[in-house]
Amino acid sequence: MVSPAIALAFIPLLLTIIIRCRYYFVLFYRAVLVRIWKDCVTGLSREERAYQYVLTHATPGDPDSILDAFDVWCSKVEFISNIGPKKGKILDRLLMEQSPLTVLELGAHCGYSTVRIARSLPLGARLYSLEMDARNAVIAEKIIRLAGFDDDTVELIVNPSDEVIPLLRSDYGLERLDFVFMDHWKKCYLPDLQMLEGSGLLGKGSMIVADNVLFPGAPKFLRYIRKSGLYEWKVHRATLEYSKGIRDGMAELVYQGIK
Amino acid sequence: MLKEAVEEKKKLVQGLRGKPWPMKKKLVTLRESQEFVEKYEGALGKGKGRKLYAYKVMMSKKWMKFQRDFENFKTACIPWEMKIKEIESHFGSSVASYFIFLRWMYGINMILFCLTFGLVMVPEALMGRPYGTIPRKTVPRAEAPSAMDFAVLWDFGGYAQYSVLFYGYYNNQRAIGWLKFRMPLSYFLVGVGTVAYSYMVVIRTMARNANESGVGDDNSFNFSWKIFTSWDYLIGNPETADNKFASITTSFKEAILEEQESRKDDNIHLTRFLRVLANFLVLCCLAGSGYLIYFVVRRSQKFALEGLETHTWWERNEVNMVMSLLGMFCPMLFDVISALENYHPRVALQWQLGRIFALFLGNLYTFIIALMDEINLKREEEKIIKFNITTWEASLYNATGSENSTAPPVTFHPADVPRGPCWETMVGQEFVRLIISDTMTTYITLLIGDFLRAVLVRFLNYCWCWDLEAGMGAFYAPCLPALNVLRLHVSMYLQCWAVMCCNVPQERVFKASGSNNFYMAMLLVILFLSTLPAIYTIVTIPPSFDCGPFSGKKRMFDVIQETLESDFPAWFSKVFSYASNPGLVLPFILLMVLAIYYLQSTSKSYKEANVDLKKKLQTQNEENKRKNKLAALKAQTDLEEARAATQTAERQKNINASLQRQHAEEEEDLGSSQRKNGRPPPSVRHQDGRPPATRAPVPRTLHPDTHRSLGYLPGGGFPQQREPRMHRVPSLQRH
Repeated sequence: MVSPAIALAFIPLLLTIIIRCRYYFVLFYRAVLVRIWKDCVTGLSREERAYQYVLTHATPGDPDSILDAFDVWCSKVEFISNIGPKKGKILDRLLMEQSPLTVLELGAHCGYSTVRIARSLPLGARLYSLEMDARNAVIAEKIIRLAGFDDDTVELIVNPSDEVIPLLRSDYGLERLDFVFMDHWKKCYLPDLQMLEGSGLLGKGSMIVADNVLFPGAPKFLRYIRKSGLYEWKVHRATLEYSKGIRDGMAELVYQGIK
Repeated sequence: MLKEAVEEKKKLVQGLRGKPWPMKKKLVTLRESQEFVEKYEGALGKGKGRKLYAYKVMMSKKWMKFQRDFENFKTACIPWEMKIKEIESHFGSSVASYFIFLRWMYGINMILFCLTFGLVMVPEALMGRPYGTIPRKTVPRAEAPSAMDFAVLWDFGGYAQYSVLFYGYYNNQRAIGWLKFRMPLSYFLVGVGTVAYSYMVVIRTMARNANESGVGDDNSFNFSWKIFTSWDYLIGNPETADNKFASITTSFKEAILEEQESRKDDNIHLTRFLRVLANFLVLCCLAGSGYLIYFVVRRSQKFALEGLETHTWWERNEVNMVMSLLGMFCPMLFDVISALENYHPRVALQWQLGRIFALFLGNLYTFIIALMDEINLKREEEKIIKFNITTWEASLYNATGSENSTAPPVTFHPADVPRGPCWETMVGQEFVRLIISDTMTTYITLLIGDFLRAVLVRFLNYCWCWDLEAGMGAFYAPCLPALNVLRLHVSMYLQCWAVMCCNVPQERVFKASGSNNFYMAMLLVILFLSTLPAIYTIVTIPPSFDCGPFSGKKRMFDVIQETLESDFPAWFSKVFSYASNPGLVLPFILLMVLAIYYLQSTSKSYKEANVDLKKKLQTQNEENKRKNKLAALKAQTDLEEARAATQTAERQKNINASLQRQHAEEEEDLGSSQRKNGRPPPSVRHQDGRPPATRAPVPRTLHPDTHRSLGYLPGGGFPQQREPRMHRVPSLQRH
């Protein structure tokens, strides 16, 4: 058989791989293994566990404490891929600069980013949040109302984004979107962007922010925005939420309009 | 007159590139000047001389054109130039510098290959005795049935062993063929020549680089350097440009952080501890790899004693596989460990190279030490075989001589003669096998690794060429330079292809190129240390008695002595013997050491003088800057003051003029009283409403001397200002 010496010669390679990719291993452990274990043990889904925690540890009506409770849970107990505190700060800053009146959010998941955006909105602005999965939408609704945002500020739509975007103008009476936040499935970034362009809801100066374009990554999306020439784009480099070593980025696009 | 005009036009054409004109203007000027020169140049010569002059001019123009075309042709002939340019535009100049370095190595190896091939392999193949004529050139009877098997040939046994590829094939005949080619002498001199050529090339490159090396200090103006020199103008691909942009931004952020941390300057003990820990880990790794190699070589010796056929392919090639794998994986581990140390990237790279070099050297020397045991074993065997051969020959002679007294020529097939062990061929074979397995492992890992990790491609920026193995083994296997050429050739294509396929460049690339003296110095040390064992074996161990060009001599370098005695006239050998007298050589060596010391100290003093001059230049520049700034400030304040002065002067004048007019008007009004009562004096307002801008140029033109006088006499402005006030008072008084 293959001699033990050759097997021993592979040890440096194994060590290198383990040390270099240690953050990915940790992420895998937290996001997959711990989740499966807790699913089997408690019988609740991950989002429900998060909701339980937030309910017990945050003050209702205070979006900051809800977000903090979420952050604590995601860093210490389990991992959910919210936008996280660091990238969230970038998002807050962009919102303050832009002060949009109509905001569209694709992919609310637990409602973390919805609360984050709604917190920084100016008076009279309205946020439309899309969520495909019904159970997640229930949790998100509860959290948004817990944070104290009523129906005037945040409207949660439970439908996939590719069905809703063509109907935004007709059913919801939107004329123009000032700000779009994309945080749903990465492979849907590009089709949804193209649908938004086609629907005519983007005007000059509309800002689109897409999360997680580097990890897990949306390469087709990035290639498209580079080539199309319709956007002034920039990638904000940061680290993945609740993780120190994995590089990630948020793409910020400003629609320029067809020349 | 005409001649001067023509000269002027020629000068204009030459200096046209540097002029800051728009392109159209330049093209028009060029065409006009060229037409002028052409028309009138021929007219410069007088009479008969005119034709000759025109002819001369035409020939010189043709010659210039020919030179230009030749330059173009030479550039086109450089191998892989277009490929490297493509890589450069995709990945930047740092990656391309690695390939340029690789190409340089290819050139060197090509020359070495030509030397060994032309002067050693070809003469023996053409003019030496053909295969099968003498025992050492024939496959022994026992090995004959398996001599053509692919497995045996792949291991460089069988027919491959008994060929010009290895030392053992060469005959020790002093002169071969009709050319009387001195084969042993050629073998020895080519071996020495390859080493000497390698050294010379490396040292020449180092000397050339020392002239253009960066004498500037890397510590001051860090951010200025970064801002103005970060961009790579050879990039031609948009994605690369984006990546470069991002990497420059990242490097700025890191530099700022580094600056902040260096200001903070805490935890030096933690850093030191981490560095010591990292070095300790690296040493553990080196020790582990050395022990593993030693263990594996011992095991293979045990296998060899038991007979190689009883073991699997894996066990037979264990040594090569382990050495290649270790040589590939340990550098990665060193890289990861060096993240603990927190050095500046260039320093970290140098440490990394040093460690890889230590790894390769440690592996090589462990391998050689294990080989030495085998060599000694073989030499022991030689004595036994010598004894056996004498008994065998005696038995043969006895058998034939018993019939008649005169011994007929004993005919025996060369394949039947018992053969002495040939340790040189064995060493050559081991090294060849090592290089082949190294190559194969490299290629396979390259393919697998680059395809698996398509996002992060790391280039083998380490000195894995100029193989230690080649330096050592080339003497015992003349085919090694050929192998090396082939390897580099194929690897060039393979790496180019791998680079273009998995086209995400590394974020931070450093120049691993021939233009950096650190890499050259490393190569030199590696070269030296790898030729050391070969030289040692040449000098101490006697050559095998039964194979190779030096068989029968006591030491390999005896061939020089022999040549001197037989091929050169007698006085030459006498001179040489005087020259090689230790009494003469030692003082000569002493003189050279003193010369080196002297040159070193003068170069040090020149460097210091250089640094002093630079400092002086810098302080001079700063002085000039300061003076200029002061002068500019002073000029500005003077301007302000002069402006203010003339402004107030103008205002006073206007007020006086308006007051006087008011007086005149009032006197008129007094004459015609009630009409102009409530009307505000329009003239004053008009004059006040005049834009102050018109007053501004006035001081500059009217009072140039007050400008200067104001600077030297700070109170100079006042007398002028006082006068209007004094004028005002009497007018009021008049009222």
